[in-house]
Amino acid sequence: MRYLTTAPISWERVTYLNRWASHDGCGAVVTFVGVVRADQDGRRVVRALCYETYPEMAEPLIHRLADDAKARWSLDGVQIQHRLGLVEVGHISVVIVVAAQHRAEAHAASEHLIERIKQDVPIWKREQYDDGTSQWMTGARELLGVADPAGADHADV
Amino acid sequence: MDVRVRFFATLRDAAGRDESWLALEPGARGVDAKATLVARHPRLAGLIGSARLSVNQAYQPWETPLRDGDELGLIPPVSGG
Repeated sequence: MRYLTTAPISWERVTYLNRWASHDGCGAVVTFVGVVRADQDGRRVVRALCYETYPEMAEPLIHRLADDAKARWSLDGVQIQHRLGLVEVGHISVVIVVAAQHRAEAHAASEHLIERIKQDVPIWKREQYDDGTSQWMTGARELLGVADPAGADHADV
Repeated sequence: MDVRVRFFATLRDAAGRDESWLALEPGARGVDAKATLVARHPRLAGLIGSARLSVNQAYQPWETPLRDGDELGLIPPVSGG
């Protein structure tokens, strides 16, 4: 898979993606790095997120989003990597690198891409808490009901 | 005609499976597949209302006419990033 990876995304990898996206014509490289946060949900604290996807749909959709952004903002390069599987607090879940001639286009394209990914690309996260429970994040938290005590048994997603 | 349905995240947990094959009448639409699925997996009822439909890996309205061999995806609200 080109955009989705089950392998950890290191900071060295982020640097590599920056170098790969930029060249002599670029005046601006904007890098967005999403990192897993230790959110609190009542008495529970998030210790990791587990991502799953519909790969046959997500990969071409991300590709199209990148192509559309390139054309719309005349970008020089776009690199996108999104994690699948278990990502612990402090680790990288997503990287978007946008290279353009000027910073306005690079910032606008970066913001657009993360918004589209969060709204349209079929990727789901399940929060894993320090008390062993877990819960899908699919829309508003209050619609999901209370914590599923059996959630820890579903950790193989 | 037969269509393949793939379940994800909350809907997969509710259906208790990754995928299902449905036999539908000719001319059936996405909404007909939805009704058939809820009848077969009643636990989907409370969740499927907020789901989007994909047909052959692209978002489509629930009114979309289906064809034999289509792959449907039940896409609960996404939460990537």
